[in-house]
Amino acid sequence: VKWTKRGLLFEPHRYTLPDGCSNFAQSPQALVLDDCVRIYFSTRSRDAGGQYVSHVAFVDVDRAVSRVLRTATATVMSQAGLGCFDEHGIFPINVVRQPNRIVAFTCGWSRRVAVPVETAIGLAVSRDHGLTFERIGPGPVMGPTPQEPFLVGDPFVLIRDGIWHMWYIFGTSWTENPEEPGPARVYKIAHATSRDGLTWDRNGVTIVPAAIGPDECQALPTVFEHAGAWHMYFCYRHATDFRTNRGRGYRLGYAWSPDGRVWQRDDAAAGIDVSLSGWDADMLCYPHVFWCDGQAYLLYNGNAFGRDGFGVAVLEQ
Amino acid sequence: MFSWRKLGHVLDPERIDRPEWMREFAQAPATLVFDTFVRVYFSCRPPADAAGQYVSRAAYVDLKRDNLFEVVGVSPEPIMDLGGLGTFDQFGTYPTSVIRHGDEVRAYYGGWTRCASVPFDVAIGYAVSRDRGATFEKHGRGPVLGASLHEPFVISGPKIRRFGDRWCLWYIAGTKWIPTTGRAEPVYRIRMATSTDGLRWERDGRELIPARLEADECQASPDVIFANGAYHMFFCYRHSLGYRGREKGYRIGYARSTDLATWTRDDTKAGIDVSDTGWDSEMISYPHVFELDGRTLMFYLGNQVGRRGFGLAELDGSLS
Repeated sequence: VKWTKRGLLFEPHRYTLPDGCSNFAQSPQALVLDDCVRIYFSTRSRDAGGQYVSHVAFVDVDRAVSRVLRTATATVMSQAGLGCFDEHGIFPINVVRQPNRIVAFTCGWSRRVAVPVETAIGLAVSRDHGLTFERIGPGPVMGPTPQEPFLVGDPFVLIRDGIWHMWYIFGTSWTENPEEPGPARVYKIAHATSRDGLTWDRNGVTIVPAAIGPDECQALPTVFEHAGAWHMYFCYRHATDFRTNRGRGYRLGYAWSPDGRVWQRDDAAAGIDVSLSGWDADMLCYPHVFWCDGQAYLLYNGNAFGRDGFGVAVLEQ
Repeated sequence: MFSWRKLGHVLDPERIDRPEWMREFAQAPATLVFDTFVRVYFSCRPPADAAGQYVSRAAYVDLKRDNLFEVVGVSPEPIMDLGGLGTFDQFGTYPTSVIRHGDEVRAYYGGWTRCASVPFDVAIGYAVSRDRGATFEKHGRGPVLGASLHEPFVISGPKIRRFGDRWCLWYIAGTKWIPTTGRAEPVYRIRMATSTDGLRWERDGRELIPARLEADECQASPDVIFANGAYHMFFCYRHSLGYRGREKGYRIGYARSTDLATWTRDDTKAGIDVSDTGWDSEMISYPHVFELDGRTLMFYLGNQVGRRGFGLAELDGSLS
């Protein structure tokens, strides 16, 4: 497998975005429409206390995924209420097309005291082709369980033969480290299934073996079927010193499966790595694979977790 | 109307010899009856930290079965640990409700974490004792009942019961946080979930008890006992704001059901109210009703929601 990089596709600071956002376009996720591809991402404003809040926005590009047509001009999802699981932002958002509606699985963030953040997965619906989404309730559809104690997030959903499959992450540890200012978290990829998208069966089992030690953090799985197998891209990093140390930051991982449940990890076959210089030289993260007109595209973020936008690569066949 | 005769102040934490972790409060009593004594679980607090923040710990006191005013034992250590960094119960276990199941004692408890925009969140955890209720081991590191689509926060106040093969968990769920000039205040209402194994819960999905005081009435401690063909729920309720004094503080309410689906609230039947003076003259809350040797008894909290512990009342007649 070989992905050919086409470079930065969207640079948020060149555009006017809703909700007063101008930096960060994180975790791009595509919805193929008749006349364009709508790419959702999370961007950021600062609240009264100077802390970041993540907002959902989108950019429409042409179906060749080469040219920006327009950006969202209005709020895509309203901010959540006081004390809700997604009060301090949504990052990322994953959209699934259904007849007459689009559903979005959201990863909601709320701030904590002992640790910086907790996350859980919510559900929202759009009936206007993805221009706006309404939560179907104020709480999450997937939060912590005895076996998945915190940081449930990063949903990616496919519906196959009436079964909803979700690949997502949950936290396995929070640890104080003397060398770092705040506690460090470790999270891993897991799989859940559902008949209706609301009630999910899951068992606290991680499905992708670690490649860089037991404290490897795995995030943002994206899954597609191709040539008789299931393929997963995700990103992974070390648990500490990952923000500015190029050797410990996010890279893209790859795994494949005959059935979507049992996975073989094979990062060497990922077909993409950091560049020697430029916007994606230090880090690769938040991958999203989609197909349009017979071509597979990989959207992803680069340095600084997507502060300067996202790029696109195409699959060579 | 029921008639509860107050028997007195059973446990005042300030009047017993107690360790530092049990320094303040004795809240949310729940009983487990043994041959010669009644074990009363409650939640207590070490002194507040420099920022004025408390953690809640779970404890018990053993009272002599034929004289519940005589203390015959106290838990030497908290009956369960606090959760680790970042878990739902890192900052408290309050309240606790227990039930026997074979050789085990099962505990359901509210686990407390601290949040940035609101002071706290609560979710319900589950723990098991294999030493007759002396110590409890938690089931996993996360909650068995936490926030869900239509119950977004403050899932607390568990009361566990079993009727036949059906496990019933009454609890409260937050409906909103009210912003104030100080810290935000939650509104919460009584709900129910059922289970066939005590682990996987099916939520009933409704508020069981209509509000009476005001639209934002807060309800807690939904304590259910079956007697004379009906389910009797004693609970407590208060105003959402300004509730720290006599006027708007907790009182004990009552509701009745014959099918566990429909409840009829009638606080005039509760039959217990604040006293004119003394430790329970400003508020009464967190009722727990149980039967012992042919008597129907209620433990409950007094002023400041258990700062001075709990008292005992006895029903004249029966629940009907």
